[in-house]
Amino acid sequence: MDILQISEFGERLITLMAAMVLVLQIAMVGQRSLVMNIRLFGAQSFLLGSIAAAIAWYNHAPHIYVAAVMTILVKAILVPILLERLVERIEIQHEIAPIVNVPLSIVISGGLTLVAYVVAESFYRPEAHAASLGHNTLAVAISLFLIGFFMMINRRKALTQVVALLTLENGVFLAAICLTYGMPLIVELGVFFDVLVAVLVLGILVYRIRESFDSMDVSKLRRLRG
Amino acid sequence: MIWAVIKVLVQTALLLLLAPLVSGLIKTAKARLQMRRGPGLLQTYRDIHKLLRKDMAIPTTASWLFHATPYVVFLATLLAGLMVPIVAADTPVGLFGGVLAVVYLLGLGRFFLALGGLDTGSSFGGLGASREMTIAALAEPTLMLAVFTVAIGAGSTTLAEMVRVAIGQQWRFLAPSQMLAFAALFLVLIAETGRIPVDNPATHLELTMIHEAMILEYSGPYLALIEWAASIKQLLLMTLLIDVFWPFGLPQVLSPTGFLAGLGWLVAKLALLSGGIVLVETANAKMRLFRVPELMAVAFTLGALALISTFLF
Repeated sequence: MDILQISEFGERLITLMAAMVLVLQIAMVGQRSLVMNIRLFGAQSFLLGSIAAAIAWYNHAPHIYVAAVMTILVKAILVPILLERLVERIEIQHEIAPIVNVPLSIVISGGLTLVAYVVAESFYRPEAHAASLGHNTLAVAISLFLIGFFMMINRRKALTQVVALLTLENGVFLAAICLTYGMPLIVELGVFFDVLVAVLVLGILVYRIRESFDSMDVSKLRRLRG
Repeated sequence: MIWAVIKVLVQTALLLLLAPLVSGLIKTAKARLQMRRGPGLLQTYRDIHKLLRKDMAIPTTASWLFHATPYVVFLATLLAGLMVPIVAADTPVGLFGGVLAVVYLLGLGRFFLALGGLDTGSSFGGLGASREMTIAALAEPTLMLAVFTVAIGAGSTTLAEMVRVAIGQQWRFLAPSQMLAFAALFLVLIAETGRIPVDNPATHLELTMIHEAMILEYSGPYLALIEWAASIKQLLLMTLLIDVFWPFGLPQVLSPTGFLAGLGWLVAKLALLSGGIVLVETANAKMRLFRVPELMAVAFTLGALALISTFLF
């Protein structure tokens, strides 16, 4: 029997990849190096694209392949390259200085995951069709969301906040793809375009902040008050 | 009765003989990966043989603790080894609480090692002991969380039962809780065996030593016993990982043909896991001591998530 045809295997595979996405997210909280953070984001996006491809394969929904390919192209390759070039161009120090120290941040992320599971539990309807996939991955998606917010709050530098925002966006994508088995293609395309433009605009913004303040510390922006 | 004795003897012999081989394999593979020739596969056996024939230099400040430590460490580790399934699912010795006993027998060994390090009053011994206990205190909760994750799935803390359940379930290794527990346990393995991001087993610089600093005063046969015990402990933790997460090919009861098959699978899986350790050791630099708690926090969170997700998925 062909292993790729068994839907139970597919479901397990998707849940496993979702769990790995979550592990990468926690690794990003724990990682201090900025470049490494960007690469972890790339890996996370690649896994996300693989999840989309697996869903397309097991649910016979060919239009999700487009979303999968777009995810890998845009988020796993293009965005990390853009961000790394930005890091090189503005010659910042490569160490992230979080507000809460790293071990505590990681434990907080674990707690946020727990919250996400509790939240996802309330959406769980056992009688609904294909509930288990939505149930597991929705929890992961919500945790990506919460941890993404936490990372944004926890970091001072503008560029690291951009990375956190992107992981948050990954969470939204995961939730969308797992609950609806793919939105209409035009919506997906719009979202990707949105992400790309957001990265470009934020890149320019970060560069300008750095030019005017000699720092990327967003708390310096308070000085703009008259 | 005789059969039980034979099982104990076979497993003891396996532990004693296989452990230095695994250490040698990791050392050689690491050297090859770094484009060095490295020591041969049998170097660890030669080292132990050489140390066993040498005289000992015993510090004048040493008390009976210093003399007792090597034996306690060696025997505790060996006893723990007899409770882990190596070539067959049923273990020769099954004492109180299965895997819990294994974990805390290893803990007993570590406790005595720390005492032995402190006993001579040398500053490096105290330094090593304090560092070792710090890391152990961080690694132990993670180890217990990962073990409980698997034990809940199996409904028992006996290793034989855990392996039996694990063999019975298809696709189980794909479950997120198993995956997370595996990752957590792998980090614990690296911390407990003193591998590179945490400790450097080949270091000659006393200030960065952890395990080596603690046993700096030992020489001759005592050192041989401690080194041997350390390699058995490493084999033990690796086998624990293999038993719980990739148990396929492990026979239920010990029989001559099953023994060979089980041994073949075990060696293959040990080689695979050693390969993973070698890659981690080569790709990473040693962490600063104060960064180690961060790594252990990651491991702890993974373990906690694993335990939580057994209830949820």
